[in-house]
Amino acid sequence: MNNSDNALKVDDLVIRFGGLCAIDNVSMHINKGEFVGLIGPNGAGKTTFFNSITGNIIPTEGTITYRGESLIKKSPDKISHMGISRTFQNIRIFPKMTVLENVCLPIHSKPTYNFFSAMLGLPSVKKEDKRIQEKALDYLHRLGIEEYKDHQAGALAYGLQRRLEIARALAADLSLLLLDEPAAGMNNDECNDLVELLKGIHRDFNLSIMLIEHHIDVVLKLCSRIYVLNLGKLLAEGSPQEIQSNPDVIRAYLGERRKRNE
Amino acid sequence: MYIASVVVTICSNIIAVIGLALLTGYTGMFSLGHAGFMCIGAYGAVLLNRYLMVPYVFALILGGFAAVIVSLIIGYPTLRNKLRGDYFAICMLGFGTVVRLILNNMNNPITNGALGITNIPKLTSLWSALLFMAVLVYFMWNFVNSQYGKNCVAIQQQEVAAEMMGVSIVRTKLLSLAISAFYCGVAGGLLGFWLQYIAPASFSDTRSNDFLATLVTGGTNSITGPLLAAIFLTTMLEYLRFLVNWRLVVYGLLYILIMRFRPEGIMGYKEFSLKKTIQFFKEFPQNKVKIKEKWTRFRAERKKKTNGRRENCE
Repeated sequence: MNNSDNALKVDDLVIRFGGLCAIDNVSMHINKGEFVGLIGPNGAGKTTFFNSITGNIIPTEGTITYRGESLIKKSPDKISHMGISRTFQNIRIFPKMTVLENVCLPIHSKPTYNFFSAMLGLPSVKKEDKRIQEKALDYLHRLGIEEYKDHQAGALAYGLQRRLEIARALAADLSLLLLDEPAAGMNNDECNDLVELLKGIHRDFNLSIMLIEHHIDVVLKLCSRIYVLNLGKLLAEGSPQEIQSNPDVIRAYLGERRKRNE
Repeated sequence: MYIASVVVTICSNIIAVIGLALLTGYTGMFSLGHAGFMCIGAYGAVLLNRYLMVPYVFALILGGFAAVIVSLIIGYPTLRNKLRGDYFAICMLGFGTVVRLILNNMNNPITNGALGITNIPKLTSLWSALLFMAVLVYFMWNFVNSQYGKNCVAIQQQEVAAEMMGVSIVRTKLLSLAISAFYCGVAGGLLGFWLQYIAPASFSDTRSNDFLATLVTGGTNSITGPLLAAIFLTTMLEYLRFLVNWRLVVYGLLYILIMRFRPEGIMGYKEFSLKKTIQFFKEFPQNKVKIKEKWTRFRAERKKKTNGRRENCE
């Protein structure tokens, strides 16, 4: 495999919280344009893994590179500007802002005009704001929540809030999307909708996507490659077929006695 | 003359409270020491005018910038180390006290220690105060509705997500702190040139608390709310002068009532609009019914809640 194909490359990642080893020597990579799944029982360290990529947690050891650039010790906002965006397991939208403002935010997180012109309220500022709003409306339209644009985000239904979070992540001008349990709390029909939606997004926006999900059928339908984490260690890696027939994975999911840090 | 004095005080309070509104209301960082910035602004403006002959308007603005410089010195280390919430508020409380105590104990002929500076020329007029207030409020209005303001609100509502979406936390918070310091500095200068006398004691912690209380009364995430609250509370304080010390009790009572019945403030998350108010009174008969409905629903909910609590106890 050519090295330049790797969008994200994680090598020998170790994260310790005091005595607890949350991530133990994990290496993985995501190729350009690939849809990768990350599964594992609760407490396996999946979200911690995401947090270390986005810069919330500084790894104890190991390297993370994105398109050849190291992400270690970079602040989350810088990492975001490199084109990595994410959604959260427990929804983190801006509840008192409108839906449109939510999606506008990542577009202007680095303001496009200086603050003197902002204070003076120049016409160019108004024009720029309008341009950004139109851009944000495109994303809302793509996710099918355009009609809610003036609603307060916190008052939206749960499923719509999930969609809004994806729209907001997309608006960040990204190339790698990290999805943390987007289907949590959804029923089968909603899951199927989500699968179609994510497939479309993956195709249209030309993204690399990494997906954490507990609905195994969602993962199997979407991902071309799957990593399995268990107790902070990488348990298996392979195509959906390989993972389904892997005895280790089955054992981890069906519950074997858990031993940490043997 | 008396009314002019009240109006100038109101203007000065509005400027300071609007500045604090950006930091506390929009960015979500509590500060208990903004009187310190006011103090620096007032001393800076007055001393520049007296010793360097800087004209009035520029003296005020430069006084504001003096407060900005100090705010950056105090803000950079605290915000970089992710001091937030109560910790930041206490840090600012310390800052306000330190400024006051340093000036209190500097016994030199320039700042004149605890006695303060007297014989300041009366350069602030009613009109200049109103003009400064109007311009600064207009600037702040534009600012909070711009991309910068939206980034501030994002930090207040969901700091982690804002950072992940690319908002630089330190820079945005620092900008918000610096602007609020500038506003307080100008407010201090304005007041100094009106009262013709400034002393460290006039910028005590009580003043910082008053700003914060006015802001909370007016409502966070709103410019018109704190503005109206500043007008209302300052005027009320003047009207209640005959109560002597008891007027502060009335003040406290008012805050308790607001916290109990409208914790988001008078105009929380909303802006006052003249058009809507006029419309409200035009359609008063219908709205009366609506308000009544709301009130009965509120009563019913209250009743349910207390009943539920009783059942739980049993």
